[in-house]
Amino acid sequence: MTSSFLDRENTIAPPGFNRFMVPPAALAVHLSIGQAYAFSTFNLPLTKLLGLSHSAPGDWDLKEVGWIFSIAIVILGASAAVFGRWVERVGPRQSMFTAALCFGGGFLVSAVGVHLHQLWIIYLGYGVLGGCGLGIGYISPVSTLIKWFPDRPGMATGMAIMGFGGGALIAAPLSVMLMAHFKTETSNGVLETFVTMGVIYFMFMMIGVYAARVPAADWKPAGWTAPAKPKQLVTTANVAVDMAWRTPQFWLLWVVLCMNVSAGIGVIGQASPMIQEIFGGRVTPAAAAGFVGLISLFNMVGRFFWASTSDYIGRRNTYMIFFLLGIVLYSSVPSLGHMSSTALFVAAFCIILSMYGGGFATIPAYLRDMFGTYQVGAIHGRLLTAWSVAGVLGPVLVNYIRQYQIDNGIPKAQAYSVTMYIMCGLLLIGFLCNFAMHAVNEKYYYRGSAQA
Amino acid sequence: MKGKLIVLWVLVGIPLLWGVMKTLENAMKLFQ
Repeated sequence: MTSSFLDRENTIAPPGFNRFMVPPAALAVHLSIGQAYAFSTFNLPLTKLLGLSHSAPGDWDLKEVGWIFSIAIVILGASAAVFGRWVERVGPRQSMFTAALCFGGGFLVSAVGVHLHQLWIIYLGYGVLGGCGLGIGYISPVSTLIKWFPDRPGMATGMAIMGFGGGALIAAPLSVMLMAHFKTETSNGVLETFVTMGVIYFMFMMIGVYAARVPAADWKPAGWTAPAKPKQLVTTANVAVDMAWRTPQFWLLWVVLCMNVSAGIGVIGQASPMIQEIFGGRVTPAAAAGFVGLISLFNMVGRFFWASTSDYIGRRNTYMIFFLLGIVLYSSVPSLGHMSSTALFVAAFCIILSMYGGGFATIPAYLRDMFGTYQVGAIHGRLLTAWSVAGVLGPVLVNYIRQYQIDNGIPKAQAYSVTMYIMCGLLLIGFLCNFAMHAVNEKYYYRGSAQA
Repeated sequence: MKGKLIVLWVLVGIPLLWGVMKTLENAMKLFQ
């Protein structure tokens, strides 16, 4: 009975179904897995499991604990790439259910790791199992949304992927509140918080499982007809996933995503110390935390804003704006630091982070434009390996170059200048790849029935 | 159908709104 409920055939929407029921289903999943961005709230408490108020001998150190998030992000990209075709085949309901089991289960396994004080269990729990939940959950609603909204694919996927940005805004205060609630004289509340969050997120993702529907094969939005002459760089053909990654377009888009993410993710990880060091003494740690919150908010809003805008101005033009405006803003950051203009500095980073989020949210619609709807979810899954690479490249560039500068006697306030110019270089590479984008050669087209 | 639609949006909207409010509360410290 359970398997039949989850089957793709049983998720085909009846006539008259309101397609606006699908975005909240996608949001329920993305708001949950977006918790990953707030995992750092557990980092310090995890280093004090034995000592409680301080790190005691035998407690894990921050570097060891930091690997939990890194493993989860690498597994996110890998599982999205590996399971993409399976997600396309079984449909959104079964894949969302699997994602919920993995993500919720990852928290529960991690709770066992905390109880036994075995870090490798947490690596396996949140890192590997939870990471699979992240990857499968991330791509599960994408192709469904694109099929429901052929007239506004950017807006539809932007709405879902906005949830991934918004998830951190919920999870950060929720984790802190739960740990404070469960804290006792013998526990700092991490174990109980993991169990609670595992259950809460599993149940919340069930909203997506319940509400997910795929459109019937011949369904079209009322009154909408596909344009007779498609826009430039928007195909009416389809390319299968195994063929897509052999096209130059796939790799151009891979670099486009990788460069856009590398530039943004390096800043997110260093945002708090960066603003404090650049404006030495004038920005308190509490104000820096406010800065981190503000850029997270713009990361979320940018996902919806830019992806929706791309429906009107085109995907390539949207990325042109990301790269050109990004270069202007990153190159102005050192001057804003010298001018001691906190407001302009904050405004610049808010726009930069909105474009970082916008890059994630616009890519599914860009893929649909280039490769059609047939296996766009699976192609998206493979493209997300660019995120895994960027997740290492961005922070390494920012952290190592900053440290190198400081070790060579550059004052902390100026240690980020070179980093910003390197970010401009990354964006320039992305700009050139985006500029080189052209339609996929017909020899790659899929000739069979495109009904997945 | 309309009732279900509203319930669904409220279910996902409330936690998101709560998160945004908490974030804005925190962000205000930047301008104090």
